[in-house]
Amino acid sequence: MPFLIGLILSALVGVLLPTIYPVLSSVDFGTVAFVFGVTIRNSSVVAFFFGFIVTAAVLAVYYWDRRRTAQAQTMYADYLQDTNQKRRNFLRRLDHEIKNPLTGLRAALVNLQEARENEERARAVTNAGRALERLTRLLTDLRKLSDLEERTIERFPVDVPDLLEDVVTAVKILPVCKGREISVLIPKVPSPFPTIIGDRDLLVLAVYNLVENALKFTSVEDSIEVRALEDGRAIAIEVADSGTGIPAEDVSKIFEELYRGSNARSTEGSGLGLALVHRIVTLHRGGVGVRSSQAEPRGTVFTMRLPRN
Amino acid sequence: MPHNRPTILLADDDPTIADSLAPFLERAGFHVLVVSDGVGALEKAQAHRPELIILDVLMPRMDGRETLRRLRKANLWTPTILLTQVGAASERALALEEGADDYLNKPFDPHELLARIRAVLRRARPGERSLSAAWLLTAHDLTLDRRARRVTLSGKTLELTPKAYAVLEHLMTHPDEAVTRERLLDVVWGWEYPAGTRTVDTRMAELRRALNDDPAEPRFIETIPGEGYRFIAPVHGEG
Repeated sequence: MPFLIGLILSALVGVLLPTIYPVLSSVDFGTVAFVFGVTIRNSSVVAFFFGFIVTAAVLAVYYWDRRRTAQAQTMYADYLQDTNQKRRNFLRRLDHEIKNPLTGLRAALVNLQEARENEERARAVTNAGRALERLTRLLTDLRKLSDLEERTIERFPVDVPDLLEDVVTAVKILPVCKGREISVLIPKVPSPFPTIIGDRDLLVLAVYNLVENALKFTSVEDSIEVRALEDGRAIAIEVADSGTGIPAEDVSKIFEELYRGSNARSTEGSGLGLALVHRIVTLHRGGVGVRSSQAEPRGTVFTMRLPRN
Repeated sequence: MPHNRPTILLADDDPTIADSLAPFLERAGFHVLVVSDGVGALEKAQAHRPELIILDVLMPRMDGRETLRRLRKANLWTPTILLTQVGAASERALALEEGADDYLNKPFDPHELLARIRAVLRRARPGERSLSAAWLLTAHDLTLDRRARRVTLSGKTLELTPKAYAVLEHLMTHPDEAVTRERLLDVVWGWEYPAGTRTVDTRMAELRRALNDDPAEPRFIETIPGEGYRFIAPVHGEG
């Protein structure tokens, strides 16, 4: 009986004291338990030791928990700092992406107002149109990204070979694709190729962006390959090209919104294409990665890994 | 000044938009009245009875949505196009739910607006509620309940994916009209989508299977080669 009361009391003290009187948490709880233990009739050494051990255990848990909370807080602070940094980067890049076409548009309007020759005026209109197109593309992609934040995606079986064929057909309409060869490789065994559960339209968009990206950074002599592989658990869709490759310092950042690598400054595009790919693949509980080499054998391979059905 | 051109009431609080669109529409053969807020739009709509109203969604004093609600409440069924700000699907759904005949996302090409105006005017039945504002659409034994988002064929409920539903809803509210694949992609996604024609065709195949519609001898959806699709059954709207 005293053993039990000693145990309960010391446990209670161990749990309650730090909560109610945090100041007292430095007091030796073992002593407190002992005091409670001896005031009870027929107290025994066993009761004291047991109470002491329980209190020590409670205290250990308490301090461990406090440390864990502190760790979580540090991690959260880091996360906030990281998010803020990302936001600042994003705004800085957005500012830049808007500024350029706006400057072009302004100059074109001035030319339109001042030019006397029809030819010059026509050129100003073309340039204004180009600047507008760039702004529109940026806005459309921003909208896609924000839309995907709130939209729930469809989950239906998606036929991978069919999807890749569809993407290549759509890409071939692009002017940049003229005279280019894009090969599609799909294993014949097992047949039929396993499906992915997901939103077909979004997956088309993701692969399309990767192929469009590959077209942008390669020349007519380079080859582009779109392929699907599977290893029993996941399906990998790869878009590979033999282009100049991505500089090593850019590789880790290219999926960030509006990030432009050092060799991507002058290329057309919203700067959001790869961020969209990343977002779509994440929505499908998959991952996307890239390996690239600027030395021979040079080239870039983007891999989307998606859970198979 | 007497004129026999159709009148369009344009409500947009941004003067650069109104100032550029009005002359453009005038050149296209319309008489244009410009107002800069919802209250003005409501007054002018009642006083001048225009053939069509274009409402911007975000406006001071009274926004485009509220204006549209009040117009419909006053039993004014003037065909209306909403200029929406956000491409989000919810915004588009809301635009149609409040009785807009069509919507257009900003930024848009003025030619696109003109095409929509002409299409809406062609569909309009003066003084009558348009199909876009109807809650229940019926064509033969097919019904589409927009409040419950339920589609039934001969009394049996059809299982449709949200995208297939959106496509069917658009086709049924635009009967006898050639709808391009690009427009259908926009209906489903609200943004420009790489023109994978197969993406729409897959959706259409799904819809036809559900509707038990034979593409060779369609009762509902007809393929227009090289152009798009057309809903051929007569549609009746209620409520």
